[in-house]
Amino acid sequence: MLEVSSVNIAKALRAIKKSVWVYHLNSGSCNACDIEVLDALTPYFDVERFGIKLVGSPRHADVILFTGPVTRESLPKVVKTIKAMPRPRLILVLGSCGIGGGIWWDTYSTLGGFKKLEEILRENGVEVDRVVYVPGCPVRPEAIIYGMLLLLGLVEQKSKRVEVVASEG
Amino acid sequence: MKSDSSLSTIVKALEEVGAFVEEVRDSEVYFRVTRENVRAAARALYSLGAYLKTCAGVDERELSGLFAVYYIFGLDDHGVDAVLRVLVPQDDPWTVSVVPDVPAADWCELEVRDLLGIDFRGRLTKRLVLPEDWPEGVYPLRKEFKYDEKPPRVLREELSEEVGIPVGPYHPALHEPEYFELYVEGERVVDVAYRGFHVHRGIEKLAESQRFTYKQVPFLAERICGICGFVHSSCYVMAVEKAAGIVVPERAEFIRSIVLEVERLHSHLLWLGVAAHLLGYDAGFMHAWRIREQVMVLAEYLTGSRKTYGINLIGGVRKDINTEKIDKVLKTITDLRKEFTELVKAMLAVPQIKSRASGTGVLTKAEARALSVVGPVARASGLYRDVRKDYPYLAYKRVSFKVPLYTEGDNLARLLVRVDEVFESIEIIKQLIDMLPGGSVVVEEYDIPSGRRAVAAIEAPRGEDVHFIITGVGRPYRWRVRAPTYQNIPALRAMLRGTPLADAPLTIASIDPCFSCTDRVTVLDVRSGRKSFIRLKQGV
Amino acid sequence: MSVAKILEIALRTGRVTRRYPYEPPLLTPEFRGAVKIDPSKCWGCGACVKVCPPNALTLKPAGKEATLEYFVGRCVFCGMCAEVCPAKAIEVTKEFELSATSLEDLKSRVIHRLARCSICGAPIWTEAELRTVVKSSPIAEEYYLVCPKCRKERFAKAAMLRLGAGSE
Repeated sequence: MLEVSSVNIAKALRAIKKSVWVYHLNSGSCNACDIEVLDALTPYFDVERFGIKLVGSPRHADVILFTGPVTRESLPKVVKTIKAMPRPRLILVLGSCGIGGGIWWDTYSTLGGFKKLEEILRENGVEVDRVVYVPGCPVRPEAIIYGMLLLLGLVEQKSKRVEVVASEG
Repeated sequence: MKSDSSLSTIVKALEEVGAFVEEVRDSEVYFRVTRENVRAAARALYSLGAYLKTCAGVDERELSGLFAVYYIFGLDDHGVDAVLRVLVPQDDPWTVSVVPDVPAADWCELEVRDLLGIDFRGRLTKRLVLPEDWPEGVYPLRKEFKYDEKPPRVLREELSEEVGIPVGPYHPALHEPEYFELYVEGERVVDVAYRGFHVHRGIEKLAESQRFTYKQVPFLAERICGICGFVHSSCYVMAVEKAAGIVVPERAEFIRSIVLEVERLHSHLLWLGVAAHLLGYDAGFMHAWRIREQVMVLAEYLTGSRKTYGINLIGGVRKDINTEKIDKVLKTITDLRKEFTELVKAMLAVPQIKSRASGTGVLTKAEARALSVVGPVARASGLYRDVRKDYPYLAYKRVSFKVPLYTEGDNLARLLVRVDEVFESIEIIKQLIDMLPGGSVVVEEYDIPSGRRAVAAIEAPRGEDVHFIITGVGRPYRWRVRAPTYQNIPALRAMLRGTPLADAPLTIASIDPCFSCTDRVTVLDVRSGRKSFIRLKQGV
Repeated sequence: MSVAKILEIALRTGRVTRRYPYEPPLLTPEFRGAVKIDPSKCWGCGACVKVCPPNALTLKPAGKEATLEYFVGRCVFCGMCAEVCPAKAIEVTKEFELSATSLEDLKSRVIHRLARCSICGAPIWTEAELRTVVKSSPIAEEYYLVCPKCRKERFAKAAMLRLGAGSE
């Protein structure tokens, strides 16, 4: 596959803004986030309002919806899948497992979060262009929608790093 | 226990083959048996009508200097669990397999072999649970293995390279990461290979580690599966309560039962939608999920979360139910009943649904029995099995309900069992709300002695969920989970053989597979592009 | 015929879609979202850290300070921390719009200054915790500003002295 060294993300986002094709990649999650992804497609949330459509192959995907803590068995397949995705690679990391490894972040058979996966991807020469983290356990369908809108630049980010010194009494 | 005579018959039959009673607790009888005699003992139990619930390997070297393998059998007719305990010396870790007589033990024995390094004689063995790149001779469930160790990768040849096939393998990859390889001749499936356990997250080991305490494990148990999580957390707390002799307030038992039934409603509606989708009936899918959304809102209102409810504690529940919540429950189930009746009528009136589901994926009663299948799969094949009836737990002894039974064993029967169960669940919730007793919902003071054992089982939406626990100090010494799908997947081989390829996706889905439960570890749909695949839940 | 049946249901039901984000989300009053730590109330005692199943809350001492960190990206939203907090400093909010483009934005920290043992200088507890304890049960400075190890040594020394005095 031809790797483009510099990808114009803003241009790509403009192009997909009204029709986002997503591919759902489960790397060993408990199913709750996956069911909520499905739920977002059904009448109450209906993400097709935003032109979001689930596709069956990473090669057709604009955005990957990534769930799970990346288990040891799934790791090589996850790398292959993300590699198969065309640039720019936009990834929406869903749920506590995907972001920080979740409740099993340090066990023998999980990788423990997207940060480590990103390092492994880089070692394999796979660049990820933009990542949006969507916390939740499981993520609500609304949270998925919000995360997607943030990725597309349609809403402002609310979460901000907070660091406060405890009161002096 | 329903009668003493049942116990004495079992004890006598087992003593004849060299298995002796070690301990009797509540409705559990523990037998000690040598590794040479275990096969005969298992055969005796199976001929008494017992089902295999699961087996579990335990590293008891700190306690007795030996490994142990527990075979847990359930005598449904008597409501008794018979547990065979086989001791295995640590310097010569092997035992005789029971698989030739009890085919249902196939997977759990392989799991013991993978995770504990005990060899089974008299059967074919292969790696099942651990990743392919896991080094030989490293056994995660041995106590000296630290839960957060990451042994180096050992590269092996890819499995897919060595697939020998009559006519190209087809992979109906699922929504979750598991592989089925279907071998076909023309349009007929002739065999099935399964490579799962992508979701092995090491949960059982994690619960034994320093990171967890008894009180925290319910939150971990709940995340075994995102669909039937409450079943797992309830089953875990029930096992601990049973082992420690904690008496839970009645009101808490009722609340747990109500939430369990709410969970069953959402799970069956989910399945029905997916089944409709697989049959190409997306209108049915959307409507089933529209109806389901009300159940999700109800679950959140009762517990605080749409999924992974997080209200189970050892000794009770965290959230009480008040009048507003009761009103909301009653209103939701009344609406649900009306809407669901209409939807099912509309769905079954579509001629293609009936014709594609009936007569496909047949599982005969004899096969179902040999594989000890559970839940709707068993009930659709004419086996009268339901934990809520056979081993009444929580508030289920107080309600009356029917267990739907079909004898056809095909996809339609499994669909109808689930449809009937939705109506039964609605009735159960109504009765439970009517009888809801007062009082507190949690006991705070309790003490969990170490070295106690207990088996707990719950009827999950997918079938019988079994948790086996050996208590330790501050946290479980060993905690074994057997999810329903674990018992049902091996039955797929029987169901798929001889069916047209086009029916394979529905048949696989008809057991309502839940791989995260089964593996307690992963699922993925990845394809290399070299082979053709069928996606089970395309667009899902 | 059969198509008509589902159409009938669809027509009667009408639109159910919540036009989130243009309409409010489908939240119930019981929903548990992210937790919020009130730095003016927190003592830094670490009870929440001990109970947190996924270790989303951590308390790490570093030099003169100890940092209580909440990483919402690993939180399982069980709310146990709020239940055990003795200072009622943790509140379970309804916040679920937590998406962020960097992991740092998912972390919130409360920094506590550590009080030190007046004898050996080892950090003992946070100043906030110290103030709370002193407020509820007034004790002398020579007790609360001494670490357990030094206190033990001091007690042993005193006891020895007394014993020695008795035997003479």
